[in-house]
Amino acid sequence: MADVTLTVDGKKITAPAGTLLIDACRKAGIEIPAFCYYPGLSLQAACRMCVVRIEKIPKLQTACTTPVAEGMIVATDTDEIKQSRKAMLQLVLANHPLDCPVCDAGGECELQDMTFKYGAADSNFVDVKNHREEQQWSPVVYFDRPRCILCYRCVRVCGEGMDVWALGVQNRGVSSVIAPNGGDHLDCEECGMCIDICPVGALTSDTYRYKTRPWEMTHVSTICTHCGDGCKTTLGLRSSSDGMEIIRGDNRDKSGINGDFLCVKGRYAFDFANHKDRLTQPLLRNAEGKLVPASWEEALTFAGQRLHEIRDTRGGEQIGVIGSNRATNEESYLLQKFARSVLGTNNIDHHRTADYVSFAKALAGQEQRAASLREAETAPAILLIGGDPTEQHPMLAWNLRTNVRHNRARIYVVNHQEIKLRRQATSFLKISAENYSAFTRFLAGEENSIFGAEATALRETLATEPNLLVIFGSELRGAAIEALVRYGLSLPDTKFACLGDYVNSRGAADMGLYPDMLPGYVPVQQPGAFATEYGERFPAAPGLDLPSMLDVAARGNLAALYVVGSNPVHRYGVAAASLKNTFLIVQDMFLTETALLADVVLPIANLYEKAGTVTNTYGDLQLVRKAADRAGVRTDLELIVRLADTMGADVHALVPFGQGTRADMGQSRGAQSGEADRHAVWLAAQNLEPKLSPFDPSALLDEIQRLIPSYSFSRLELFAGNDQHVQATSKNNALVQISNLSQRPDGVLPSMDTLFTSGTMGRYSSKLTEVHDSRNKEILVAAN
Amino acid sequence: MSIVRDIASVAKGMSITFKEMFEPTQVENYPDGPGPMHGAQFEERFRGQHVLQRDENGLEKCVACFLCAAACPANCIYIEAAENTAEQRISSAERYAKVYNIDYNRCIFCGYCVEACPTDAITHGHGFELASLNATSLVMRKEQLLTAMPAQPTTPTLPK
Repeated sequence: MADVTLTVDGKKITAPAGTLLIDACRKAGIEIPAFCYYPGLSLQAACRMCVVRIEKIPKLQTACTTPVAEGMIVATDTDEIKQSRKAMLQLVLANHPLDCPVCDAGGECELQDMTFKYGAADSNFVDVKNHREEQQWSPVVYFDRPRCILCYRCVRVCGEGMDVWALGVQNRGVSSVIAPNGGDHLDCEECGMCIDICPVGALTSDTYRYKTRPWEMTHVSTICTHCGDGCKTTLGLRSSSDGMEIIRGDNRDKSGINGDFLCVKGRYAFDFANHKDRLTQPLLRNAEGKLVPASWEEALTFAGQRLHEIRDTRGGEQIGVIGSNRATNEESYLLQKFARSVLGTNNIDHHRTADYVSFAKALAGQEQRAASLREAETAPAILLIGGDPTEQHPMLAWNLRTNVRHNRARIYVVNHQEIKLRRQATSFLKISAENYSAFTRFLAGEENSIFGAEATALRETLATEPNLLVIFGSELRGAAIEALVRYGLSLPDTKFACLGDYVNSRGAADMGLYPDMLPGYVPVQQPGAFATEYGERFPAAPGLDLPSMLDVAARGNLAALYVVGSNPVHRYGVAAASLKNTFLIVQDMFLTETALLADVVLPIANLYEKAGTVTNTYGDLQLVRKAADRAGVRTDLELIVRLADTMGADVHALVPFGQGTRADMGQSRGAQSGEADRHAVWLAAQNLEPKLSPFDPSALLDEIQRLIPSYSFSRLELFAGNDQHVQATSKNNALVQISNLSQRPDGVLPSMDTLFTSGTMGRYSSKLTEVHDSRNKEILVAAN
Repeated sequence: MSIVRDIASVAKGMSITFKEMFEPTQVENYPDGPGPMHGAQFEERFRGQHVLQRDENGLEKCVACFLCAAACPANCIYIEAAENTAEQRISSAERYAKVYNIDYNRCIFCGYCVEACPTDAITHGHGFELASLNATSLVMRKEQLLTAMPAQPTTPTLPK
């Protein structure tokens, strides 16, 4: 739209026509206070804090509902306006209790800040404040009614933003009160958005209740370890007797790919890290067959020597390696490099939750066709086939809903279930679960009698959409993905997104945790540069995939299995006896079903306790920052390197560290004078550490960038905490002919997680379990 | 003449000395004096070891708001908060200090914590003999800082 020019406080500012005055002012650096106005939500004009004087209009106007106009002359900073704002605050404070010392919002409360700014500390009201008892609305949400200032942000974010509509307003005028539509409890997705958006302490969270105060914590924003969307969550940490403990998770740092959004898992399901069953000592199976605590030296030496022995006597093909969906890219990369160059095996796999290989193959030779998560918020039309974003990709669902609300985007949903997103959809087509593959061929033009007139109409509509974003779930695999992508590429400017389940499922696939694929989806048969990179032990033939490894183990022909951050025994329903002839090393946080069978158990740090990068299912690469700390655990990266070292491998060949740059080891450190190593501090601040340690993930990131052409991104942006979109494939991959891929089993086993489950890890999150149980109880009660 | 002047000035000086010898003693007889203070005498405003106060019902006044810890320039106050339950009520507000430690190795007795306290829970007492050969004993726990329960503790009864 055309720009208009207006004058605010004597300053000329320009903004597009239709912009709200409050936004235009804020953009120009003129602060206008507001409680009820929240960008992206509908307008309320309830708090009257944003009033401004507009020339030729007799009364003060609310800046949050007034669009800018040409030649408008606005005053925002006069005594009259200050007086009005102060009076509004006094009215708000008339019934607001002065319990800031015990209020969880104390220290990060917008009402505190405004009172401080406008000086409404004195009150003209003498009446007794109207006290009400605090109510618990759900396992995570508490409501303190007298603290509420009726800004209606929670009602709007729950309804418009989340499409949950669990909150409403009862009564009118001064007796208005926020209340759950479900009577005394919230019937909702427990996302905690209402708590986050509440400007005061009326809505507070159970997990953070009375634990500490905001200024007492260190805040580190890192990537949530749960679903494949990879939202940024800010963890509040306090030092405890055995490290740094996570006190709360929230969305304080709104700089992530998720903007304002965070779901129940990102907000509350960090507590697995503090679970009492967490392993903090390595365990070794003794002569009686019991797991007993051992030292790190003992455990690593024993595991390394056994692996060394098995490799030399029975060969690398008798060793299997299973990687993780939650480890960083660097760790996954290192794990497969360790398997291929030290153990000499291609038997490496992970729990696959989406067929990224077929996706990469279908997109080979294309550029800029894989969509970022951000594009779900801007694309004019979206075709969603399979999957259930509301349950499994809450951030994607939020973006799609926002897109419909703000841009009137058209969403075409094709699913075998009546998923919740159909409520925002332009059209919803229900097909049966086994017909996804047939449907992709139908889209491409193949006639099929099982699809009726509705499907044909959808196909015709889609043909007219120029900028379609195609998002598909794990129901689509192999040939179906290829057919869908081929169909999409026949339309102009189509983009694609493939939905996988965990935070680094895509990263694990990109890093080559496959028996037949090297990093960057390079087939093992045509290894190219990898042939020389990975040394002489690198086997030429593809290895066994995960189910085959377990089968071979059951037949007693797998000598060793190295499982890193995965629970295949539970996930694939393996009988305990089938692994009895296999030397099993398990790296995990807990004694999972798999770890219980292990000969060596090594306790590891989780994603919140290490640094590195992860790639979400859309290919958005993000930096993981070390937040928490726990005495007694080690990162996967460190353990793999140390295991390689005890096996006698050349650690320098495994991790390219300490090459070239040398840190100043003493000249400027002045240990005697007690000075900090300023040189090292400066290097760390500039993200230029010289990678002196073999445990430095950025040394591996160098190698990843060197060997995977599609991982080209700006390091500056990455280290600044911004997401960087990487493509599944680069143009170079077009040269590689992937043969017999169509017969390749995709091996995808969707995790079927919901909003309140998260694989094995979810079971160890007490809050998530509590929410899940309470939800099940409600469903049972409703059914009866 | 100078001799006369010298003798006169010595006599003048000694007269003050002899006069003061028979006046009552002005110095404090610490630590040999009587009583718990061992002869030390303090002004009311003296800032000694902290005392955590109780309210008229014997409940702790501290609500674990962390403002004293925030105000402390020496960073010597450590608090862990917990929620009062119906069965176990420690303070009159929603929460109480489960752990309240003051590290007297660091405390500089500036009184900012007392000034910051919104419930007048922390005050400066007159305890001053804190010296110890063991630094760890200088980290005082809540139990050591709390004032004694009133002689007849009255537990608050909620209206039925």
